[in-house]
Amino acid sequence: MTEKSKIETTSGKPAHPQVESLCDQLTAGRIDRRSFLRSMTWLGVTAASASAFAGFIPAPARAETPVAGGKLRFGCAIQEITDPALTSWIEASNLYRNSLEYLTYVDADNIVHPYLAKSWTPSADLTVWDFELDERAKWSNGDAFAPEDVIANIQRWTSPDSKSSNKTAFEAIKLVEKTGPHSVRFTLSRPVASLPEQLYSYTCAIVHRDFDKSGANWPANPIGTGPFKLVSFEVGRQATFAKRADYWGTPAHLDEIQYIDLGTDIATHLAALASNQVDLIYRATIAEYDLMKSLPNIQILTGSAAHTLVMRMQVDAKPFDDIRVRKAVQLAADNKQMLDVVYRGEGQIGGNYHVSPIQPDHFALEPVARDVAKAKALLAEAGYPNGIDIELTLGNTQGRWEQDTAQVLQQNLAEAGIRLKLNVLPAAQYWPVWDKVPFGATYWAHRPLGSMTLDLAYRSGAAWNESHFADPAFDAALDKAMGTVDPEARKAAMQTAQTILRDQAVMVQAYWPARFSAAGKNVRGFVLHPADYFRMDGVWLAKA
Amino acid sequence: MPLILFILRKAGQALATMLAVSLLVFLALEVNVDDVAVKVLGQFSTAEQRAAWLEANGYNAPFLWRYFDWLVSFVSGDWGMSTYYRAPITDLIPDRLAATAWLALGALSLIVPFGLGLGVLAGMRPGSLTDRVVSVLSVVTTSIPDFASAVFLSIVFVFWLGLLPGASTMIGGFSLKELVLPVLVLALYSTGYLARITRASMAEVMATPYIRTARLKGASLPRIVFRHALRNALITPITVILLQVPWLLSGVIVVEVFYAYKGFGTLLYEAAINSDIYLIEACAMVSVLVVVTTQILSDLAYGLLNPRVNLLGAPKPAKGDAA
Amino acid sequence: MIRLVRPYLTHPLVAVGGAVTLLWLVLALFAPLLAPFDPLKTILPLARPLTPAPGGGTLWLGTDMLGRDILSRLIYGARTVVLYSTLATLSAYAVGIALGLSAGYLRGRVDAALSFLANVVLSFPVLVLYIVIIVVIGASPLNIILAVVFSSAPAIFRIVRALTIDIATRDFVQVARTQGEGSLRIMLVDILPNATGPLAVDFCLRLGYTAITIGTLGFLGLGLPPPTPDWGTMVNEGKAMAIAFPHLVIFPCIAISSLMLGLSLLADGLKELSEAKGRGA
Repeated sequence: MTEKSKIETTSGKPAHPQVESLCDQLTAGRIDRRSFLRSMTWLGVTAASASAFAGFIPAPARAETPVAGGKLRFGCAIQEITDPALTSWIEASNLYRNSLEYLTYVDADNIVHPYLAKSWTPSADLTVWDFELDERAKWSNGDAFAPEDVIANIQRWTSPDSKSSNKTAFEAIKLVEKTGPHSVRFTLSRPVASLPEQLYSYTCAIVHRDFDKSGANWPANPIGTGPFKLVSFEVGRQATFAKRADYWGTPAHLDEIQYIDLGTDIATHLAALASNQVDLIYRATIAEYDLMKSLPNIQILTGSAAHTLVMRMQVDAKPFDDIRVRKAVQLAADNKQMLDVVYRGEGQIGGNYHVSPIQPDHFALEPVARDVAKAKALLAEAGYPNGIDIELTLGNTQGRWEQDTAQVLQQNLAEAGIRLKLNVLPAAQYWPVWDKVPFGATYWAHRPLGSMTLDLAYRSGAAWNESHFADPAFDAALDKAMGTVDPEARKAAMQTAQTILRDQAVMVQAYWPARFSAAGKNVRGFVLHPADYFRMDGVWLAKA
Repeated sequence: MPLILFILRKAGQALATMLAVSLLVFLALEVNVDDVAVKVLGQFSTAEQRAAWLEANGYNAPFLWRYFDWLVSFVSGDWGMSTYYRAPITDLIPDRLAATAWLALGALSLIVPFGLGLGVLAGMRPGSLTDRVVSVLSVVTTSIPDFASAVFLSIVFVFWLGLLPGASTMIGGFSLKELVLPVLVLALYSTGYLARITRASMAEVMATPYIRTARLKGASLPRIVFRHALRNALITPITVILLQVPWLLSGVIVVEVFYAYKGFGTLLYEAAINSDIYLIEACAMVSVLVVVTTQILSDLAYGLLNPRVNLLGAPKPAKGDAA
Repeated sequence: MIRLVRPYLTHPLVAVGGAVTLLWLVLALFAPLLAPFDPLKTILPLARPLTPAPGGGTLWLGTDMLGRDILSRLIYGARTVVLYSTLATLSAYAVGIALGLSAGYLRGRVDAALSFLANVVLSFPVLVLYIVIIVVIGASPLNIILAVVFSSAPAIFRIVRALTIDIATRDFVQVARTQGEGSLRIMLVDILPNATGPLAVDFCLRLGYTAITIGTLGFLGLGLPPPTPDWGTMVNEGKAMAIAFPHLVIFPCIAISSLMLGLSLLADGLKELSEAKGRGA
């Protein structure tokens, strides 16, 4: 390990006071390297100097040199896009991700890097953040990227009539102001350590300051700062992006990317990949695993992520307003069987508190054993001695495994006298009701930190609080976790939050499925980002 | 002149049907005004926004008034905006319909020669080996649902043999190779059906007294078939072919969805699963229009082929009557 | 009686078709007795056919992705497909016959109005009509039956109407009328029994198409909600894995095709018999 004095910040300013303590904790072996790197980059330390301190040897240069040029065909649903801040599908964000950029970039290892913002410096109490914008950045219409753009975006996310999920995520931001030709300052009402990381949420793409004035419809007026420009966009058919010659940063390798809508059936996506009609598909599930293995001309991509199916109960809707009913459901559910049967054990078991073991702030709670007898007793106590009829609404938004999971749950619950009826809607019909149904199965995408998910989904009154869960003690624990840089202290706060959430029996969150996708053999540089945030500027096609 | 009168009368009937269909479709999809607002404005809309939108778009008017308003815009070519595709529906439908027409054309180019040919071969000598083979084949193929043959053909030709592309998006332009599998699935079912009809019709004609007399007089079978039997035997099958078009319109939904073919069937399917009501309305109207048109053509063909039917005259003799 | 039934039993098409259809009907009716396993219970995921089950017994056709016995699901699926189709087709027949008889016998304005209405409904391609109905009222057993009635009754109406018009001109109907029999009695006692031949043929075919349509809706993901076993849904669920586990789709496809085949053969046989009878008379 190198010395602490070699630590550099992205801004060149002196490092945050907590940097030193983080270095000590790492040296003492109290935190792991990944937690260290993440925390350091939040505080504005360069990823390179933090890695060097941690003794990470930079990855050796690739044996292959990227080839520029070519057209990549990406099998992906082409959904409607209007306002990026209102997007509810990550697929859609991956389209505009080629043209729109974010203030920060979080890589597949959850390390934060400079992007449109080239540096950030938090105050000692983590409530004032100074962002220095990259002065080279330019909009495709010729305008210079300026602090006004950032201010306009933050304001439209957090304004009182905003419908964006960003409103909750950035509710702590009190003030955004221009502090120089290329600098902005965020003033927060409470400390938020992970602010730079949150700015890479898929709904946080930075649009031009005149976005609302010009109709708030991105495909109709596709101005962006990114390496590609939108050439054509047809919902349900295809979208094409071409490389921009005048891009301000490192140019992309590919000349053109075409996204092709192959319908909803992943078997068809693989068929298209097998017959070389596309080079890359968005996602596969366990159901297609054997099919993928049988195809000789493709590479299978795998990874893990904190994404999951949450079967949550609304705590204010009958009969779930009685915690004994919710507890009975939780106790009767066999999370291991759902993982083993539906995902053939490919993934990690969940503990009904929606924080994944791969998230660095996860606190490993002692699991609660399945107890059918106790579930029955609780039901009888709640006034249902002869069992109870409940209905679960789901939409298979990520594939049939959602429905399969619900079917195993159905069998589990039957053992405790809970008669579960499944109401399966087409995916598009699920989203309009996802936060309205009393008992619903919602897919939650990966977030780098458990606290980010909890903040969006379970804080009192949060925009995406589908379970209507509200608990001041939980909110307080969450505040504490989010305002803490020290990984150990953060975990302790998370222990409280996780325990409350689990013991209030808000959900059955059975497992964290493994991730799969597939690509043609010549695709290089594609990273299966855990959050499905696919940046395409590093992707290239090897010559056959 | 009777032909023109016939066409005018048929067109009048078609118009009346279309009107009734439009009322039915509108009734089904737009009676519940609140549903319409949610579907058009989406999940993020507030109650006030919906109320304002309903007011601004005349949804507070009485139902019949709204219907006439809708009908007038529909007839004048304003079919509204698709809520899912965010485009005027009149821009979406022609391309999709053309794509489906290619598919149907491809299917018909297999169905017609094979269906008629096999049917005639089988019906020429009822009870012969050819007849039995054709009959068995046709009854088997008409028993396999198109979704089953779609799955099996793609397993065999895409995954095992690697001969054909697995998706037929046609995004890179027209591709004959991408058309093969969907066409094959559609043809497999309908060929058997047409063969059965043709065989029955042919066998019936072969059993008529004048053909039997001709055979007794020693005329050769091919001569009888081509000179006498065929014309009479093909009347029913040809009208059946035209009536297959509505059937194809159903069949294309499964096939197009399975092969990700961007045609009219996928459009309707996606409109349905996304509750895109204006698009569903337009698709339903267009498909009915196609059906009604083919019915007129089929009646016309029947009348032209069968001299015994007066196009303007009394109803066709019912089956079972001595002809 | 035996003399009446005998030609049906000895006719090869009727015998074979009838046997296949009857087999599925019996399986459907007695599913709880005949199915070797609980169709919803996870036994052993993705077992190949003929695998011995862990708790005893054999998984003759293997299990699906969730480890449910495919044979049992097929047998229970016969309930969904065969029973719902039959119920739906019978209801459609009740409506179609009632309206067809009235229109064909009474003629006049009732006939004109009903015929027009039937034409309107029949001008929808079948699947388009089903999809629109399902979008409007949602998928449930009752709604699927309603959709079938709505879309099939007009076709049945047309057949019954044509037959009624034809039969009403026959002598025995004229005689009944002069004897002062009521319209209802004439329609039900004199006309309807004479129309059963062609109607039986149509019933078999229509039942088959209805079964296929219910399967198609399941395949498109618009069918009955899980876990109700349904052949079309089984094909849909298994198709992604069919390359590695063909038994997931082969058996449900065979089931639905064999049912349709049985019904087509039955229809063909009945048609031949009624034509032979017609010639004999």
